[in-house]
Amino acid sequence: MTRVHKNVREYDVFARKARVDPLRHVGRVVAPDDDIAQAYARATYDEERWVEMVIVPRAAVITVTAPGEE
Amino acid sequence: MAESVSDLVLSLADCKQLLGLRYAEWCSATPTLEADIAAAAMGLDDLGHSRVLAGCLTELGPDPRGAERETDPAAYRNVAFLDDTWTEWDQFVAANAILDTAFTVMLEALVEGEVEVLRTRLRKMLGEERYHFLHGRSWLNELGSSAATARAWQEAVEWFGPDGGKHRKRLAEKLERPEPKLEIDWSKWDPLRRRTRPGAIDRPTFDMLRGLEERRYGVVRASDAEAPARG
Repeated sequence: MTRVHKNVREYDVFARKARVDPLRHVGRVVAPDDDIAQAYARATYDEERWVEMVIVPRAAVITVTAPGEE
Repeated sequence: MAESVSDLVLSLADCKQLLGLRYAEWCSATPTLEADIAAAAMGLDDLGHSRVLAGCLTELGPDPRGAERETDPAAYRNVAFLDDTWTEWDQFVAANAILDTAFTVMLEALVEGEVEVLRTRLRKMLGEERYHFLHGRSWLNELGSSAATARAWQEAVEWFGPDGGKHRKRLAEKLERPEPKLEIDWSKWDPLRRRTRPGAIDRPTFDMLRGLEERRYGVVRASDAEAPARG
């Protein structure tokens, strides 16, 4: 049995511990839809008591400058 | 029969304790690594919820937990779906999507109800349960209906009880699917265990639960006391 969903999207996970902090990238999850991606993100990155966590589909990210191009 | 809120809260506590254990049993056996982690996290959540619910009992009147819980697995007030270890992933998904959501429907009713200790202490659970719901519903949509989902839905409706029409409607709304056709013989319904099926949790699980509780309250068995101390 393969241990992955058949059709998945990759999501970047951002979180912050306090309102004054900026959101920072804490990791990624792969999931077949937005709902389950939320559940996976919350379960996987629970090392802090975050005041906010958001996920962004990796496909929605537009690269403006990449490493090596600056 | 007038329903005692203590009896209901104890049944909810027992169901969540067993649900948490059954989730945990799958934390290295789900189809994906991410679902393994989610199973572990949801298991911890539900075990925690069970402790909070059990902690409310002393403030709700006479404690419904009798001495029979020490020796009789059938004294636990869990739904029959949680009696035994799940052997198939679709059983996990059915419990996660349908039974866990049914328990949340009841939690919502208690949080919106008139008992102050429940209104205040149970509210935090609803935030955590949102992730269980998203996880369960997505997997249910992926796997579709099965014998396990039919049984879970039947037991959820039984758990709501004969007057649970409002809760049944809410469950179907949340899951965005109609309640399946059910045949329930309410004459066999046990109002304390909130189920029609006989049976009880499997013996190894029951023994483990009793052991956990003994350690939690500092009870030392004679056999433990005589064992040599470890360095």
